[in-house]
Amino acid sequence: MSYPLSHKTVFVLDCSPAMERPCGHQFEMDSLSKGRSSGLIPLAPVTKTMWTCAVEAAVEYCRIVWDIYPSARLIRLIANGAQAVSVNDWTAADQHLTTLMQQLAGVMGGVRSAGSQHSLHAGLAAALHALGEPSEAQRADRAADAAAKVMNRGRVVVVSQLADDGQARRLREWFADALLQHNRTADGAAGRLTVHSCELVLVSVHPDTAECGVTPRPPAPLSAILSGSVVTAKAGTQLAPMMMNLVLSHYELASTTVTGIPMKEEQNSGSSANYDVELLHPAKAYESILQGSPADHAHLRTRRDGCEYETITLKWCTPRTSSAELHQCTSASRVTPVDVNSRPSSCLTNFLLSGRAVMLEMPRRSGGKFVSHMLAAHGGEIFMHALGSGRSVLEDPPSVSEGAGGRVTDYRITEFGRLVSDNRLAPGEASEEGGVPLHAALERLARHTRVWPMTLSESCLAALPSLDSLTALLVKDSLSTDEVLECKKAVYNLVSMEARHEPLPVTTSGARGRGVKREEQYRALWSELEALVRAHCRSDGHQAALECVLECRSQGRAAEERLGLDQAMEELDRCGAPVQDSPLSPPPTKRWRRDRPPAQLSLLEMWNQRVDADNALKRLEFSGRLNGGDNNIVKLYAKLDKDKGDEVKK
Amino acid sequence: MPTVLALDVSLSMSRPVFQQDRSEEPPTVRQLAIKGIHALLNHIHHNCKLEFAALAVYSSMYEILGSFTRDFDQLKSRLASLAEYDKSCVETALLGVKAVVAEEWGSGTACQVIIISDGSLGVGDSSLRQLVAGSRLHLPFSFPCRLDVVLLGERAELERRGAPAAFQRLVELSGGEGAVHTPEPPLSAKSTLALFRRLAETNYAPFSGVLHCGGLSSRVTLCPPPQTYNRTRDFEAVKRTVSPELRICGFLSVADVASPPAFSRHLVLPAPSESGDAPGEPCSEEDENARTACFCVLLHGGLKRENAAALVNVGEDWYGIVYSWADNKKKANLMLSLFEPGTNVLPWLGDFTNLGPAVPGAPSPFPIKVSRKRSYQQTCVTWTRQSGLHSDVQKVLRHARKLPDKTQNFYKELNRLRSAALSFGFYQVLESVAVILERECTLLPGNAHPDCALQLTHAATALRHPEAPSAGQTDPAAQHAVPAGQLSGVTWPGRGELGQWGCCGWVRAVRLSWSCRFVRRVDYHGAVVS
Repeated sequence: MSYPLSHKTVFVLDCSPAMERPCGHQFEMDSLSKGRSSGLIPLAPVTKTMWTCAVEAAVEYCRIVWDIYPSARLIRLIANGAQAVSVNDWTAADQHLTTLMQQLAGVMGGVRSAGSQHSLHAGLAAALHALGEPSEAQRADRAADAAAKVMNRGRVVVVSQLADDGQARRLREWFADALLQHNRTADGAAGRLTVHSCELVLVSVHPDTAECGVTPRPPAPLSAILSGSVVTAKAGTQLAPMMMNLVLSHYELASTTVTGIPMKEEQNSGSSANYDVELLHPAKAYESILQGSPADHAHLRTRRDGCEYETITLKWCTPRTSSAELHQCTSASRVTPVDVNSRPSSCLTNFLLSGRAVMLEMPRRSGGKFVSHMLAAHGGEIFMHALGSGRSVLEDPPSVSEGAGGRVTDYRITEFGRLVSDNRLAPGEASEEGGVPLHAALERLARHTRVWPMTLSESCLAALPSLDSLTALLVKDSLSTDEVLECKKAVYNLVSMEARHEPLPVTTSGARGRGVKREEQYRALWSELEALVRAHCRSDGHQAALECVLECRSQGRAAEERLGLDQAMEELDRCGAPVQDSPLSPPPTKRWRRDRPPAQLSLLEMWNQRVDADNALKRLEFSGRLNGGDNNIVKLYAKLDKDKGDEVKK
Repeated sequence: MPTVLALDVSLSMSRPVFQQDRSEEPPTVRQLAIKGIHALLNHIHHNCKLEFAALAVYSSMYEILGSFTRDFDQLKSRLASLAEYDKSCVETALLGVKAVVAEEWGSGTACQVIIISDGSLGVGDSSLRQLVAGSRLHLPFSFPCRLDVVLLGERAELERRGAPAAFQRLVELSGGEGAVHTPEPPLSAKSTLALFRRLAETNYAPFSGVLHCGGLSSRVTLCPPPQTYNRTRDFEAVKRTVSPELRICGFLSVADVASPPAFSRHLVLPAPSESGDAPGEPCSEEDENARTACFCVLLHGGLKRENAAALVNVGEDWYGIVYSWADNKKKANLMLSLFEPGTNVLPWLGDFTNLGPAVPGAPSPFPIKVSRKRSYQQTCVTWTRQSGLHSDVQKVLRHARKLPDKTQNFYKELNRLRSAALSFGFYQVLESVAVILERECTLLPGNAHPDCALQLTHAATALRHPEAPSAGQTDPAAQHAVPAGQLSGVTWPGRGELGQWGCCGWVRAVRLSWSCRFVRRVDYHGAVVS
């Protein structure tokens, strides 16, 4: 495992009496109660100490890093007073702004150095010690593989008032020696890591009113494993922007200014004015867009007052897209506003956090503009999506309807849509057997698709809406007693359908055309049903369902000889399914002559039987026939004859 | 990936090639090269329908004969009428390639570059040896690329001149992917065609795999073929190839995946049947292929209908999504977006292996919320600029002027200010705010609520509380005396045990005390609880 230099950073904040001196930059306080203070004694301006400036700048550095790299980029603060006091730890819990602020307040009082024997060595030694401590990730790596070499690198930033170049040089030399010494002892020690590479940044601050005695030095190697640089800054006005420069170069960040953000005026709510907000983000957000010679995109870059870095200006585009659209995005980077509490910044962040997305336009050098980025928040974090620009190699793709299978029209799209919504993913808990949730999802998908005809014409079963409940139940992992009953109900329903010779919904296309007999359709349906249930046979409940299907099917076959309708009806009654006959339909006994096995029927009889059945559906049977005796022969006008007879008798 | 062909048209390319068979006119090297390019373009046309190619010629200058197109006949026709130019210079070839790629694709698209030459290294200052030695070549390109060099000449003769080694150096400078190719001796039309065919087969092999969705599957090809992922990331070097088995794990709504960053994008086309046509070939109405049901079409329909994307596992710890995608025109097709390799590459979806079956009908669990708020989502304090400090003090003042109605807000802001000042060691501001509050007190109108003066005086006193040393103090001993408990907030008089909630519990304390406000006013004792 290799860890980047920015994995670990240690700040050594000097707390010497020199740093307790005022920074020389005054904050005016009188204007705060303006308008009410006529004739009052003006308030004295306040001045921060250099220590306050240093802490503020370091905290701002942490804020930016932790917003953009919520994990794996760790920072520790060490206050160097009479002794070195470590403010926080490498643990994930400590790598957070709120926690850090509390910890800072906690140690603040105890670290002040009293005397003249003050030295930065204690702080530097503590910083080295901190770099030698494994971070949580490194510890996990070592635990996973004890033999693996963990590349341990880090950076030390020292903020102090240095007297002259000589002091800076002595500090660097002392640190280089201490680093070698540390690596010698760390080699064998448990729980200690060798520091393979280190960068020492000496930040010399001085009051705004004083002159600086130290010359800045660009980063240069000091030894094989150590490089160093010196920067200087006026504590009051320059330290914070300088820290911003450092954080940009240390973490390869870039700055983007979103311009033209329309905002309602505070004073005059009717009007709106345009504001700019500067954001920081990893430089990779521009990786694919800004390449080639720097002159090509010089028109985008501007430099803000007092900053060494350049910012790229993109224009706010009034949002119109819906989130349900997938943009061609090449990278997504976390962002953080430079001035987090300013009104325009908080306005933009709140707008984004409320769930809306903002498109950003980049002007072309040749004129015109294109949408290059999108700002959007996901789960409370704001991301800058770099969008694909320029020509795509996928232009003018063929339509799906032009490819294989494109001319088939009876795909079961609706049912597949249901399959999609039934197989959605959600964060889950690992099961007790140690299986990851994704395996469970894969298993479920496999269950759902075990038997899944793609087109309607491919399957009789799929075309029958009354069996949907059955298929929905069968894909379950196991079936409860009630669910088994449901399955059986569906099967018996099918039996009764067949018994009533209900026509199946036949698809006109495909192999099963018009000419296919109803019996054959049912036979195909039954074999398809059996295959379906057999494929899903994975629990006792499924076994019960399968047995039910097999039973009904064998009876169905027998019924071809003896039409065992009664039994089917009985079974249907037994499981409580409503008989689906209309009250107007004649009793089934009239339609089916069970005393005559169909095998012995002549063609004429079969024809008659069918005509009778059809007729029976069309009109009510004459009640006289129903009550009639043998051979259903009834004498008409019996009463007339009877009356006539009576008269004759008289 | 798009291809740029750079053909050497210097005078030496017009040299006739000695042939064993004397019956025919000996071809020139350039004619062999053109034959080879024809063969290559034909192969691409047949196997990779959607590929683009561009054609450039170079000598001491370059010319783009045809920019990126799928109409290869146009490129071939341009090859028919070539003039002869002066000396060969590879530098111009590279400049030409760079220009044509930058104009069409920018720097994000990987390109295949093929330089075709007779192996002459050029003369004088612009010779390849001089260019490499002076590192004047503009390599590597700004776009990811694979550079192949075809040298048409007798192998022994080329090696004697050191051409393969020199061009190999060029390939290495371009990033190392690619190679130098020379035809089998003797140089002839046959060996040249064999060389180009081999080049085409290795570099333009179509991807062939199977897209699985549980029990359903379809043979598919990806267009353009996916590249091997080979990058060094912050914490590890990662090398992955796309497996031929693409497995759908489940489905996510398009709104939930929220425009994720993709490493590459590919059209998912149903693979032709064994007899078959090239992928991407439009099937005719009568075609048996078009009339046989295909899972890709069903999947496309289902995803479009549900506005969903399918999460696909494409290799070890490598995932992507398949969704319905339409170009500007109304032609929708299946698209595969490959993410960066890894299981936790989209923070708002969490670890992919952690995604399990969702309960049908449950509200969307995405995006996954961050466990700890970012600075812009909470009220953090920055006073590096004067405006930051001013706005925080002003907030306190604004509430102070609306006392007693805004008592809670007043103390909340005051405590925020105080705890930040203590964290930063900025004690002078506490004194200053105390003075401002006292001044507010003196400016209170006569009809003000008696509570106003009371709260203001109390707050001012509390800010100057001995536990918080003022900046004016120089005695280090006194400064040492700040206990850790200093963080507990300024509390308003009479809050009793609620005062012990401290800074963190402050907001809760405010909510609790809301109900006992009435009581608070009655049983005021004037005690400062800290």
